[in-house]
Amino acid sequence: MADYENPEIPEGINVSPTHPLKDFALLVAGISALLIVAVLAVSLLAGQLARHIPFEQEQALAASLGRWLPEPPDSPVDRQRQQYLQSLADRLAGTMELPPEMPITMHYSSSKTLNAMATLGGHVVVFQGLIDTLPSENALAMVLAHEIAHVRHRDPVVAMGRGFAVMLALSSLSGVGDGALQQWLGGVGMLPILSFSRSQEEAADATALQAVLDLYGHVGDAAAFFEEVAERQSAAHSPTMFNTHPDVNQRIARIREFSARHARPQPPSATSLPGFMKAT
Amino acid sequence: MYDLIFFLVLLLLGYVFGQHAEKKHFRSIIEREKQLRGILTFSERRIPDEANLQGTLVSGSVVISVDFFKNFVAGLRNLVGGRVSAYESLLERARREAVLRMKEKAQDFGAASVWNVRLETASIGKGRQQGGVGSVEVVAYGTAVKPR
Repeated sequence: MADYENPEIPEGINVSPTHPLKDFALLVAGISALLIVAVLAVSLLAGQLARHIPFEQEQALAASLGRWLPEPPDSPVDRQRQQYLQSLADRLAGTMELPPEMPITMHYSSSKTLNAMATLGGHVVVFQGLIDTLPSENALAMVLAHEIAHVRHRDPVVAMGRGFAVMLALSSLSGVGDGALQQWLGGVGMLPILSFSRSQEEAADATALQAVLDLYGHVGDAAAFFEEVAERQSAAHSPTMFNTHPDVNQRIARIREFSARHARPQPPSATSLPGFMKAT
Repeated sequence: MYDLIFFLVLLLLGYVFGQHAEKKHFRSIIEREKQLRGILTFSERRIPDEANLQGTLVSGSVVISVDFFKNFVAGLRNLVGGRVSAYESLLERARREAVLRMKEKAQDFGAASVWNVRLETASIGKGRQQGGVGSVEVVAYGTAVKPR
């Protein structure tokens, strides 16, 4: 019995002395950084590959996903509005030298939403809410040219390719973790996608300005839409759909700079919108 | 967005309550270990002077739950590997608590020593639903002896 004893065991020999918060911070920061780099790489790669999808394939894809596009208009005035939008888009597409296999299909929605968007397969949707805020055809042409530029740059299919690749990568990665981890990975992984579309927006703005200049010979009223948005934002109800877009004031400044470069001696007069385009 | 807020609140609650419980538990363990220092524990199978002793089986078991914070940190650790320090302290608590409970039984029996001490660890709720929190069980057992 005398040979046996229990020595006093010092505290903390079985536990790493790291503070739990430090451990947590290091892990979160390290894995976030890795994840962002990986997502950037995957989305860049997917974007590059998606650009090479033939437009025909994109159209076929859009046809199978097209349920959410607005219904064809049934009232005569709405049909007239759609035809007008289509002819304006066709004129712009002509000056922008769109390849013949890349037709633009205009969709008109009588909704009050202040928005216009380009989606897969060359479909462009314009909402009445947007048309109501525009002072002239030139302003509308700028918005349409911007959306057509997205189609020409293949932005919708690139965005889809990126989104799909990132979603696939993240869900296959987070399959190993538990629910909370999955949620966190999903949140961090979507960050770079937002900042990416900004450069696409800027490129679309530049192409659109050139198209409007080519079509009308001047870029008067081109900034009208953004000025309207800036006004609404300063009136403290900011439309959420512009969050992914560059700062409107920067865009207005860029357009003004462009129009200053292409200034003409006599002040250009804007083409007015046909009467039937306004809701009220 | 609400999911994220909910998640962060859970993480904060897990950290605050988990750390509080752990500190309190360690204080209590150290205190009781001092009180029970008189009862010796050995892993030795052969009990010296066996013929003059009377023995009985004593055991102590404890189940401790992983908090949300530890669970999340360990989940991150799973991705990169390394020491899961979040679980190290958890298992240390469970082991020492189980031995203490065993010693208390030995004390009730009137023994001065426990021989052939063994520790078993089991995780409870291993095939748990996603987002659930697991627990760890440690059981300590041995042969408590007192003079016949």
